[in-house]
Amino acid sequence: MNVVSSVFILLGALIALLAGIGLLTFSTPYARFHAAGKASPIAFLMVAIGAGIEVGGRGAAELAIVAAALLLTLPASTHLLFRATHRTTVSDHLSVDELAAAERELAAYESATEQELGGGGDGDQH
Amino acid sequence: MIADIAVAIFLLAGILAGIRLMRGPSLADRVISLDAALVALMGAIGTRVAETGDSLYIGVLVVIAIVAFTATVALSRFIETTGRP
Repeated sequence: MNVVSSVFILLGALIALLAGIGLLTFSTPYARFHAAGKASPIAFLMVAIGAGIEVGGRGAAELAIVAAALLLTLPASTHLLFRATHRTTVSDHLSVDELAAAERELAAYESATEQELGGGGDGDQH
Repeated sequence: MIADIAVAIFLLAGILAGIRLMRGPSLADRVISLDAALVALMGAIGTRVAETGDSLYIGVLVVIAIVAFTATVALSRFIETTGRP
């Protein structure tokens, strides 16, 4: 391996190790998911850049496809896990909780439109 | 030499994720640690590709990426529908 791809691959390995350390040591679930979900795609992106420099040509294109797929799908799946955790556990330790506010707002809007439909139900014969 | 060091670091990251997989208090912790372990495995396979110049293993990387995404989505839907953390 040449120097540039070695540097990229070692950087990716260290970022993956950082993700593992964060996953193991952080105390709240949100911090753990953040550590694992943000650092993992970047780690694989670094490895893919290093291996793509080394392989070249068609192999580099396939590695670019894999890296793009991982960069698109891993944040989405981590987001779904965040939402599942938010819906199933009590999250009082958060200083900003925009999802709970948005869900309260949605529930208020739905109950308001429900009342409006119920009140206007008998008045729709023009 | 450098590839061996990189694979060892990836193995260490996978072991840390495995410790969280066994210890993790909730099911979501286990799911995300399995995801991190799979990404460490993908990094090790990518290091192997760079070491040997053998582009045969890139197909394995595609399959692992798709399986990791599908498993995480399915398990997070499972957590939401059962309502247990």
